[in-house]
Amino acid sequence: MNEFIPLMVIIPIVCALLLNLLHKKDNSTKIIAIIVAIIVPIIPLIANYGLHYFGGHAPLIANSTLLSSLPAEIANSTLASFHPAITYSFEAFQKLFIFILGIVAFFAIFTSLSETKRTSGPLMFLMFMGIAAVTAILLTDDIFHMYVFFEIAALAQTGIILTSNTEDNYETALKYLIVGSIGGPLLLLGIGFVLGVFGSVNITDIVYSISNGIVDPLSPTVLLAFGLIFFGWLYASGLPPFHTIKSSIYSKALPHSAALLQGFTVITFIAIGIVIFRIFSYLPYFKTLIIIFSLLAMILGITMAIMQTDFRRMLGFLAVGELGYIGLGFGLGTHLSITAGLFQAANEIIITALLFIGFGTVMYLTNTSNTNKLGGLLSVNPKLAIMVLIGGFAMAGVPPLNGFQSKLMIIQASLDSGFPEISIIAILVSIATFMTFVKAFHSVYLKPKPKDLKLVNSSVPKPAIISIAILLLICIILGIFPQIATDPISQFVGGLI
Amino acid sequence: MASDDNSNNDLGDNLYSKIVNSFKGIKEKIANDSTTNESVSSALAAELTLISSILIAAIMLRHINIILTVIVVLGLGLFLITNMPLIPTLKREQSDSLEKMIFYIILTLGILITVIYWGFTHV
Repeated sequence: MNEFIPLMVIIPIVCALLLNLLHKKDNSTKIIAIIVAIIVPIIPLIANYGLHYFGGHAPLIANSTLLSSLPAEIANSTLASFHPAITYSFEAFQKLFIFILGIVAFFAIFTSLSETKRTSGPLMFLMFMGIAAVTAILLTDDIFHMYVFFEIAALAQTGIILTSNTEDNYETALKYLIVGSIGGPLLLLGIGFVLGVFGSVNITDIVYSISNGIVDPLSPTVLLAFGLIFFGWLYASGLPPFHTIKSSIYSKALPHSAALLQGFTVITFIAIGIVIFRIFSYLPYFKTLIIIFSLLAMILGITMAIMQTDFRRMLGFLAVGELGYIGLGFGLGTHLSITAGLFQAANEIIITALLFIGFGTVMYLTNTSNTNKLGGLLSVNPKLAIMVLIGGFAMAGVPPLNGFQSKLMIIQASLDSGFPEISIIAILVSIATFMTFVKAFHSVYLKPKPKDLKLVNSSVPKPAIISIAILLLICIILGIFPQIATDPISQFVGGLI
Repeated sequence: MASDDNSNNDLGDNLYSKIVNSFKGIKEKIANDSTTNESVSSALAAELTLISSILIAAIMLRHINIILTVIVVLGLGLFLITNMPLIPTLKREQSDSLEKMIFYIILTLGILITVIYWGFTHV
């Protein structure tokens, strides 16, 4: 049923508002949060593919009876094919990503409820608001609607950092808001130029206008709009020069919240990336620009990650660096490369969530994330340590895990496109990722336990272990059967190019 | 012949010792916290990854012009090696300082808009 399409956004919003009202009632908050967190990944599975027009306003061209009753000047004009309503498009691709987001959100909420003594109503409110916003960004075919929900997601992210009670979290949140006050309005300005030139904010209409020569695609206003939207995309996704603040945000949120935050970022990154690709990929140097920023993200992300002594910051930089692989997919611009990039996005959401929750258990046990002060935690829960280790291998691209499959696809795509240099850099960064992860794992789990290290909690809560185990299982399944994800993605990319 | 060998060795020694000395320099320059074997080896790995990735990325200029690529790669290689260690500077520039973040953001915006607007219309 197509009615389920808007419900994917409405249900988390209603839940968020309800949780905000009930935030003082611990048990009610907990029960509602868990129930809705279970519902969120289920809805995309039962919803039918299709389009949803808000208010039922389909384009005139879709209604032949109405079209025939209109004057010829309207019926034969571009107006007839324009979309008057906000349109949501739900296909296998959106299904895959909303499902993955739902799964990660469920485990983040599940772990959060088990690791915190008192359920935080405001945190749950912000998490669900973020989930709703990111789902809307993925579904919508309207660039302004996307911007509105992007800003809601950005505010939810800031709020999540504010609720974390970690050191300097207020300062980081304020910095993110200040940086956002540069990136956000410029993105909006770019969208404003697009509206001015094309007369519509519907992405399909904009693409139609370009491909049918209705507007001059190389006019200075379109070029400026591209520049501003591209810059907004860098801000939204945390590509350089925004990688520092993005990694800082991940490190100031509680690890289970960071698991969700990185999911928000990756989905915003691919959703806006797809929009930019659909509208502006005809521009000369479009692909070069994306490749430059992707390579920068990879190189700066990994070199900074290696240097970190705080594992949360290290994971933050690794997460930002991994975005570069997704960007390379868009930058190379072939069917295989975009499929590989989007597959990498799906994998990254799962793997990084696993690592944040996994290393989050270390923080739960010791109340510190400084690797210099940690050590010998293997004895606390060896099985958990091994699961985290395999998760790290997945991120570095060790076969037969999912990270290996997507990175191999990206390397193949860059070789096919005549850029062996990109393949070499991708391999080099993977090796450095492996080294970074093994170093962190050694510091936390294998090195002798420092004498002054005291355990705040004696054992890891079961929900965290279950979350890590299931996320790892998904990594292994996607590694052995990558076609589960690549088939719907490849089908979607076929329509994109 | 012998003198040639010596001069080659000298050149090799100089370049080699320059690189090794710059690694030693890392130890003093990185972080305010206690320096361990781990942090120095991390800095080394980061340094090598950075230099090799930048040089490999520069080779992509061959799609524009091969002579330009040779000049850029050689120039960049020399510049990077003579300015080692780069990582402490890079780390300092990517700190959480708001001024530095805003500086690089505005710089990127300026370059991006200039390249896209004037680059596309006048090239």
